[in-house]
Amino acid sequence: MNTVLSRANSLFAFSLSVMAALTFGCFITTAFKDRSIPVDIHVSKVMIKNVDDFTGPRERSDLGFVTFDISANLQPIFDWNVKELFLYLTAEYSTKSNALNQVVLWDKIVLRGYNTKLNLRDVKSKYFFFDDGNGLRSNKNITLTLSWNVVPNAGILPLVMGSGHKSLAFPESYETAKSY
Amino acid sequence: MLSVFKSIPTHMDYKGQKLAEQIFQGIILVSAVIGFIYGLFIQQFGWTVYIMLAGFTVSCFLTLPPWPMYRKNPLKWQPAVPEASGENRDKPQENQKKKKHK
Repeated sequence: MNTVLSRANSLFAFSLSVMAALTFGCFITTAFKDRSIPVDIHVSKVMIKNVDDFTGPRERSDLGFVTFDISANLQPIFDWNVKELFLYLTAEYSTKSNALNQVVLWDKIVLRGYNTKLNLRDVKSKYFFFDDGNGLRSNKNITLTLSWNVVPNAGILPLVMGSGHKSLAFPESYETAKSY
Repeated sequence: MLSVFKSIPTHMDYKGQKLAEQIFQGIILVSAVIGFIYGLFIQQFGWTVYIMLAGFTVSCFLTLPPWPMYRKNPLKWQPAVPEASGENRDKPQENQKKKKHK
């Protein structure tokens, strides 16, 4: 510690160790928190088509179109260890060929400091709601749930499902393409 | 240019070094505790880091330059041996060496 460089080395290393301890403290204060909140989902329009599916093994698959409303207050989830939330809306159902199907229809990134009250109306799905086959037609029970991935400053990234879901049924017949 | 920096004296005596280490460790720990509590209160980790960095800067200023308070206990060196007897001892040895070469 006789020279400036030696003192600077010692000081800097000590500061980094203390910073690491503070980060661990930040993690420990929020590690066991329950990050689930109630979510309200409404569905305004449901339609189904039978179209060519170039990504699957068969000629034609069912393609669903869902228009929905989501409202949730995300403020309680954000604490000092949350950097952003990655929200995604999942449709879950079972068909004759597959026991469990889960399709992500829509997602959104909510950063810290931005508007945390989610009040979206008449949202169309972002991603195609293709079925592996023709199992969507007259499927009575399709459950929509909103989940999120919590991205922290320090620690584990949990996947949390919101409490509150919406069940919907697809119609019996396909909509034929309109020709003008 | 480097010789200019090397010629600035930056030494501290041992008691001064111990004092400097205690000072910077104390300042950084105190600022870390204050920062942690304040960050937890306002729920923003950014402020914890800012307060820590402020503590780091204050302790840099207090302990890096060699202030006079770190030089209060200088080392007690042995008194220098007077020059006259040292020269007498050297010269006979040199004469002996010259004789041997011949």
